[in-house]
Amino acid sequence: MTLPAKAFQRWLQGIAPDASTADVCRVSGIKRTTLAQQLVRGKVSVSTVVSIARAYNINPLTALSCFEEYRELAGPLQPPTRCELISQISTQDLMRALLARPAMCPGETSPARPPALTPAPHATSVKNWVDAIDDGEVRHRVSASTGVAPQNYSAQLTANRLSAELALATSRAAGVGLANGLVASGLVTEEEAGWPADARQSALDGLSDGDLTALAGDRLQAMGKVLRRQEQDQAQTEKIWENLG
Amino acid sequence: MIAVLQWSTLAICALIAIARIPSALRGENRSLFYIFTLMTLAILLSIEAPYVAIDQALGGINLANLLLRFVIFATIYVLGVKVTRGFGAEGAYRLITGRAGMAVLLVISVVMVAVFVMMDTAGSSAGLVGPARMNARNGVLVEYYGAAGRAYPAFVSLALLPAMIVAVRSTLPVLIRMAAGLLAIGGVAITLSLLFPVFPRSWDSLEFVINYTAVLCFMIGLALIWAARVKNGGNTAARKTSTEK
Repeated sequence: MTLPAKAFQRWLQGIAPDASTADVCRVSGIKRTTLAQQLVRGKVSVSTVVSIARAYNINPLTALSCFEEYRELAGPLQPPTRCELISQISTQDLMRALLARPAMCPGETSPARPPALTPAPHATSVKNWVDAIDDGEVRHRVSASTGVAPQNYSAQLTANRLSAELALATSRAAGVGLANGLVASGLVTEEEAGWPADARQSALDGLSDGDLTALAGDRLQAMGKVLRRQEQDQAQTEKIWENLG
Repeated sequence: MIAVLQWSTLAICALIAIARIPSALRGENRSLFYIFTLMTLAILLSIEAPYVAIDQALGGINLANLLLRFVIFATIYVLGVKVTRGFGAEGAYRLITGRAGMAVLLVISVVMVAVFVMMDTAGSSAGLVGPARMNARNGVLVEYYGAAGRAYPAFVSLALLPAMIVAVRSTLPVLIRMAAGLLAIGGVAITLSLLFPVFPRSWDSLEFVINYTAVLCFMIGLALIWAARVKNGGNTAARKTSTEK
């Protein structure tokens, strides 16, 4: 999750030999206190490296590959699979696409083409991505290889968070492109990860009406569960306050 | 050290009770104000100086101690009712307020009063330390009396425990889960206090710590629920009910 400060200093020396810490912060928009704290603790966050890399026009993946734990990001990366691409389309976009399908509007000759897809990630990106690449055993393999307890791993997925370390471990465990989890967690953009610009749109267009409808149904069902849980929690909380607030 | 703990607990509890006055005047959850007031009274009665003063006024035969026990019973009963209602623990609510709960309360009260009457209770002394040292028979009776006094609070807090553990593991707001955790710890502490008769005499200070852990946990737990509501921006629920009337 974090990178050793020493390695970070060495890397920074390489990309901006004459810049002071203050310069680096100004250019990359990182708060000086944040960076200073990370340096003092000896642990620099991955997102710090990504921000600085962007500021100096370096691909974040290239930057990360300078660090031991992320070396593999330098090599040629597998392109995203169709399932992964679809998983990074937000539920709203899927619904819009579905409503524009002929199957959904009989009688209409040419439904309006839905607007362009919103960029990844979306509200349930992480969980959808893992579900998309899961052969049923991926979660176990990730837990075994990283030592992260299964419940902590799934808590991250539910919260739509995924540390860079776990994202890579998940990609490895599923045998997919290493940077794809970083896209799902929002650390890097699709473009930075080398996804073709219209890859998601083409994957979506390639879905049959039936597949798209079923997929949208699955997403709605999952969303319904989350919303219902939230409503139940809200009702319970109100009741607690009514009695004890 | 123990005196500091006692007086600071008293101060905190009294402050919370005072802070509840405005909402009690508005008619919001008066029972919470009663809980804190009763708790303040109970803590006051468990400190030597105020205990002796009050007991002298009551005739100097340690009636104040009996009063203290019933104040604790009342507090824990109201607390049990409100907490089980709030957290939707139907089973626990029925157990506490139903026939079984009333029978437990009645039997324990009768036993407690009977033992009190059998004791020679002359000479005001908080915790009945004086009468216990008078002779062996009194010493044993004081132990039984104390055990009876702790039995009802233990019964109620054991009834609450499952619902509190469920709440801690739920997805409710963090402050509410912390409150449930504190109520659970308080309940465990009260239940542990049932074991006091088998504790060696030298563990007196541990007994104090357990007692005050229970009181502080209950107090802070309830205050946290209140704080969560205030933080949430207020009393929507209360306003709703007051307009419905």
